[in-house]
Amino acid sequence: MKRAIWKGTIKIAGEEIAVRMYSAVQDQKVHFRLLHAKDLEPVEQRIVRKSDGKEVPKDEQRKALPVEADTAVIVEPDELERTAPETSRDIDLCRFVPASALGDQWYDRPYYLGPDKDDQAYFSLVAALEHQKVIGIARWAMRKKRYVGALKAEGGYLMLITLRRADQVLSVSGIDIPAARQPDDKEVRLAEQLVMSISADFEPQSWVDEYRARVMKLIEAKARGVKIVLPKAKPKPAGGGLADMLQKSLAMAKEKKVA
Amino acid sequence: MPEHSTGSPRGRAIWSGTITFGLVSVPVDLFPAIRARQTSMKMVDPKGRPLGRRFYCPKEDKPLSPDDIVRGYEMEDGKMVVVTDEELASVAPEMSRDIDLRRFVPIEQIPPMYFQRPYLMLPSGKSTKAYHLLARTMQKTQRVGVGTFVMRGHEYLVAILSDGTLLRAETLRFPDELRSPADVDLPKPKKGSPKLVKALSAAMGKLKRDQLDVDELADRYAEELHRIAQAKEKKHQDVIHITSAAEDENAEEGAGADVVDLVKLLRQRLSSGATVQTADQTGTAHAHAGAKSTRKPPKRATPASSAAKAAGSDLSALSKEDLYERAQALEIPGRSKMDRDELIAAIKKAA
Repeated sequence: MKRAIWKGTIKIAGEEIAVRMYSAVQDQKVHFRLLHAKDLEPVEQRIVRKSDGKEVPKDEQRKALPVEADTAVIVEPDELERTAPETSRDIDLCRFVPASALGDQWYDRPYYLGPDKDDQAYFSLVAALEHQKVIGIARWAMRKKRYVGALKAEGGYLMLITLRRADQVLSVSGIDIPAARQPDDKEVRLAEQLVMSISADFEPQSWVDEYRARVMKLIEAKARGVKIVLPKAKPKPAGGGLADMLQKSLAMAKEKKVA
Repeated sequence: MPEHSTGSPRGRAIWSGTITFGLVSVPVDLFPAIRARQTSMKMVDPKGRPLGRRFYCPKEDKPLSPDDIVRGYEMEDGKMVVVTDEELASVAPEMSRDIDLRRFVPIEQIPPMYFQRPYLMLPSGKSTKAYHLLARTMQKTQRVGVGTFVMRGHEYLVAILSDGTLLRAETLRFPDELRSPADVDLPKPKKGSPKLVKALSAAMGKLKRDQLDVDELADRYAEELHRIAQAKEKKHQDVIHITSAAEDENAEEGAGADVVDLVKLLRQRLSSGATVQTADQTGTAHAHAGAKSTRKPPKRATPASSAAKAAGSDLSALSKEDLYERAQALEIPGRSKMDRDELIAAIKKAA
């Protein structure tokens, strides 16, 4: 049984739906450590004063918030403490939008919400989100920090995905990238055919991190003292006219489909 | 071509390579599309003198320069295996160079739980024709390209998106990095109560809008923090002079964080007619309490200029949430009361 990382209560329309929160992400990365080259001792990070390189103990470390280009204000620990949100288990839903209203850039970290005690209320909320085809914009405070998130139905369950803040996401519009030559009609038509010929459904299971396995193999070989011959990159296929390359690619894509 | 005519922002690209689809290659540079929160602070001592992180060898008790540091993997028996950047790149040379778009898919088919981090992709080659062609084609066919590539020692699954003229990349989680409902022991789905479903649906209908109002995603912690700081600034209390953000290597978030002004970068790289804004400056009018206009957006990711830098970001690049989870997995006592630095230190110790 996975332990919930947090327990909260979703508040909507006078209803209170108790939920347990679980991380939907599991770390699979190959983790390296930084070592001192000479003695292979894992290094330590210490906080030092830049001017004299002297170590500064924890209780003498302060944080300063930049307010102008060259000015900052020290925010004392007790002042920082005061910015902490009130302790609460509430997950407030203030707004609902269609899923298409939130672009990929907003999404940060996914969590599953599971029912806590009242299964029926929980699955009623899932059903309502599915019927209305909406996601909820949620606010809550967890471990003294404020969060915003998107509450959505996913595969019959509730998922809460933390969202980035308004001034983090760049919206870029009206960008005109200079082009000496624009692609011609034939190239555009061929490119469309090529894209459609390798179009398919998103099948997540067909994507595997192969690199991770190769890195582990490298590490194991090195640990055994085996000398490794590293492959060189294959040279790129010779270039040609854009239309020509598209035509050849299209022929290759068709062949693959037949095979 | 007019590119790189002003300065060399290209040096700040966190990855450079080519997108390939079929036999067509599109040379691109990758830039982060997310700015740090307005809450990132600088470490100083009580007198306001800047502090920084430095690596030490605990055995010799002396500070190390980046050249003294290597990347190692700890085997189960505690033995350390040193791995170089060159080895990591050459384990998969093509993947380090190309993003091969093996599939094109409709964007709405990718569940949001896969989305990890957005980047901008700008053309880097002599000719931008292929870039234009790909951008235009993907918009017209309403497809996004999916492929994988290697950056800074890790493989990423990535979706390439287009708004018609500009390409973006969104790194995706691999399926094995995501848990299933069964993995966290969620109960079998049940039927809800029709009465409650109806009541909840009605409530949702009332609170529904077709568009997102970015005010609802305002950073309230940042607002609070800036309120405190501005009040103190007015009273000339605890105000200190700092070096400009561009010269500072030790913003609190991420050791050695490089700082790049994305807006400036884009204006340099692209034609002058471009408009680049953060989401809260577009659409709905929005007054922000923070002094954001004076602050440069710090960037977390840095080019892997040295082994030390690249690997150093392994822990320090993680969010506190990530760190906490790792601390939880390692069953580190007192983790809930630890701040970022303490978590990093404790994880390093326990790992």
